[in-house]
Amino acid sequence: MVSIAEEAELNRLETQVDNGGGGAWEYLCLVRKLKVRRSHKVLNYGLSILNDSRKRSGLGQEEWTLYEQVTIAALDCQAIDVAKDCIKVLQKKFPQSKRVGRLEAMLLEAKGLWAEAEKAYASLLEENPCDQIVHKRRVALAKAQGNIAGAIEWLNKYLETFMADHDAWRELAELYISLQMYKQAVFCYEELILSQPTVPLFHLAYADVLYTLGGLENLQTAKKYYASTIDLTGGKNTKALFGICLCTSAISQLTRGRSKEDKEGPELQSLAATALEKDYKQRAPQKLSLLSSVLKGLKVSP
Amino acid sequence: MGVGFVVGLFGVLILAHAAYSTIQYRSLLKIMQEEFSGPPFHVAIELILGLVLSMWAALTVPGKFHSINPEAEENRIVSLPANQDFMVFNHRGRLFPKQTDLKLKR
Repeated sequence: MVSIAEEAELNRLETQVDNGGGGAWEYLCLVRKLKVRRSHKVLNYGLSILNDSRKRSGLGQEEWTLYEQVTIAALDCQAIDVAKDCIKVLQKKFPQSKRVGRLEAMLLEAKGLWAEAEKAYASLLEENPCDQIVHKRRVALAKAQGNIAGAIEWLNKYLETFMADHDAWRELAELYISLQMYKQAVFCYEELILSQPTVPLFHLAYADVLYTLGGLENLQTAKKYYASTIDLTGGKNTKALFGICLCTSAISQLTRGRSKEDKEGPELQSLAATALEKDYKQRAPQKLSLLSSVLKGLKVSP
Repeated sequence: MGVGFVVGLFGVLILAHAAYSTIQYRSLLKIMQEEFSGPPFHVAIELILGLVLSMWAALTVPGKFHSINPEAEENRIVSLPANQDFMVFNHRGRLFPKQTDLKLKR
């Protein structure tokens, strides 16, 4: 999870490194820790460290981690030659290593040799059937070929064994959404919220999917989860505030003709609308009129 | 740090003085051949004062506390990490020109 403080630190280091201010190794460490995808920069700065023998030997054992990081970044940037050279170095240092074998299979993947990559992963799995990352690479392989249904099948099989892997649940949810299978995606997000209840972004995604599904009950649940997102972010999430307004207006449209016995108080949406107006006033005053016309259209007035 | 550190030092000194006075008081009692029933009043006052001062110093000197609330501003999660285990390489970046000057030297 990338918190706001960590993001600020990352951006600060990035501008510092971009302007030649040093701290490249710290930047690469932070990129690895936060698991953000900055392949191009990792490739540039990682290679400059690796090509400088004095800097490289200063890293000690971390040198090999950097080689791995640069290899993956190079594959992502389609710099096949660099990746090949890095893998060669790693192979010399660690012959017979499974981790290097995985990198080789990823190299095949980046070249687009799907059948060979599949064979390499299968042989890696034969040696060690519990290697989670290889299982995940297989899913990614199916995804790369455009075979989303196959990827979902692999991923489901994987999740039967490794149920606690929340990254995999997230990937499965995103795959289902890309196929518009929202009911299944809802289940995945429920699983994610159960495993990490304090991450507001999962609550938000869950509410989004429920709102997309529609129907009175789903809309009411979606509204609750938008509210919990607001609770967890301290009201700083604009999307959740808009979600409350949208849910309220959709619910009121659905329940127009019915009795008003289960109607909730209007405080929530008016509070959300007020918070939105305040936020817009502070950060984008020129768009305030746009916001108020939208809110008027939704019939939620602060 | 300066003020807090001095206050903390003062608190520890008061505690040490309280210990010293108690020992002295007990040796006095031994001479007078009386039973020890409890520390004298001024030692109790010193103990309380020392406790308050050193606690205050211990809470202020090391630095500011971080919030543990998930809704606190500095803890707010703004983005999820990229799911790198499922990274796919055949994206549109493939169509952009490669940098040919990048090379691993040995």
